[in-house]
Amino acid sequence: MADPHPGHGRPEIEVEVEGLRKTFGRREVLRGVSFALERGGFLAVFGPNGAGKTTILRVLATLLSPGSGSVCVAGHDVREDPMPVRRAVGLISHSPLLYPDLTAYENLRFYADMYGVEDREARIDELLDRLELSHRRYDVVRAFSRGMRQRLAIARAVLHRPRVLLLDEPHEGLDPRAVDILDGLLAEIRADHTFVMVTHHIGKGLELASRVMIVDAGRVAYEHAAGVDADAFSAVYHEHVQEGSAQ
Amino acid sequence: MSAAAQFSAILRKDLTRELRTREVLVSVFLFVMLSLVIFHYAFASAESDLTFFTGGMLWVTFLFGALLGLNRSFAQEKDEGCLDGLLLCPVDRVTIFLAKTAANLVLLLAIQVVAVPVFTLFFVERSYLGDLPLLAGVVLLADLGICALGTLLATISMNSRARDLLLPVLFLPLIVPLLIAATSATTAVFTGDTGLGDLGVRLVFLVAFDAVFLVAAYGTYDFAIGE
Repeated sequence: MADPHPGHGRPEIEVEVEGLRKTFGRREVLRGVSFALERGGFLAVFGPNGAGKTTILRVLATLLSPGSGSVCVAGHDVREDPMPVRRAVGLISHSPLLYPDLTAYENLRFYADMYGVEDREARIDELLDRLELSHRRYDVVRAFSRGMRQRLAIARAVLHRPRVLLLDEPHEGLDPRAVDILDGLLAEIRADHTFVMVTHHIGKGLELASRVMIVDAGRVAYEHAAGVDADAFSAVYHEHVQEGSAQ
Repeated sequence: MSAAAQFSAILRKDLTRELRTREVLVSVFLFVMLSLVIFHYAFASAESDLTFFTGGMLWVTFLFGALLGLNRSFAQEKDEGCLDGLLLCPVDRVTIFLAKTAANLVLLLAIQVVAVPVFTLFFVERSYLGDLPLLAGVVLLADLGICALGTLLATISMNSRARDLLLPVLFLPLIVPLLIAATSATTAVFTGDTGLGDLGVRLVFLVAFDAVFLVAAYGTYDFAIGE
């Protein structure tokens, strides 16, 4: 008789990347990236500028198609079955992905409608409250500071309760208060979400992550469970990045 | 989440933005009114009845006016970095196309509701009120073709650095057949030549043109809006 719970006894894999390659024109940005992340895991991805970190996130988010190799998120292939992946994923990127001429409320209502959030009004109220933006609810986003836009971008990304949260330099441009709010929110949802975070902040990455990965010149140069001392990891980082930065 | 709900969310978002900024409405409306003034002074000394030329004047003006709006419809998404947010949503790409086409159509119709009576007041000497439903049908069919083809090509050209140049280069040659059919059908309405013969052929052509480009967009839009 077949096992009704095939994943029983071992952690369920939420993000699985195997031999991922991606080329832009003649430039090969990803050269066979492979990694797996269990459900509830938190992967911090480090690497120099141009290493391919953001490209990995964009492929996971279905914004870029994989050149070759296989990429599965939440049990679905990003190329064959992108819709369930999009439902399962939230992305916080460099750009807030907000419409400057709409109000904070209008932006969140638009995305809530696009994702079919059932308790739309309650969810928007809850997030604006949580991110301390209730008082600016009816102001156009164009009038927001960089930090406030980033906070609203966090609300946009978690609005539809995604299973997998993709974070591209989420602490960049945030004031200390906003960093506290973001970290608090991440801690709150940590247990029932899977995270892939691209960052240059070694300390922050090590503090949050359950696994760490260094990407350099389109390859995984190092991967390890977290719990490494920041100084020791910094030494490992410089060793691997210097060795691999032939791009 | 239904495709209809997503369609109306995108349409409402685009129209709300436009009503707030009036970027497209103001520029297209000014262009249309400026064209009217130029045509009026260019033909001021003409003794002859200009009714026969009004269809051509109208459609050339609307075509170039629509180009201004079409160029902006995706440029805004791209420039403000919002396109990724839209593409992240679990929405069929064809729904995005249909909603963007509908938003462009609403804006073009809003301008025409004012511009057509003003144009005809200056140039058409015959009352066409009895044929108003026919004129509305011609305008609607031609607008649908302009907006469907224009939205598809605006999507293709948005990733190009030369998008402001690329859109007219792609759009204008392809829209010529529709322009000819719309012009002669409109002229037929203004001159009262509304027998089913020639006018019927032109209406069928407009329907076919719309169908071809809607089907083409349905089949290609996933690739057009991709990377």
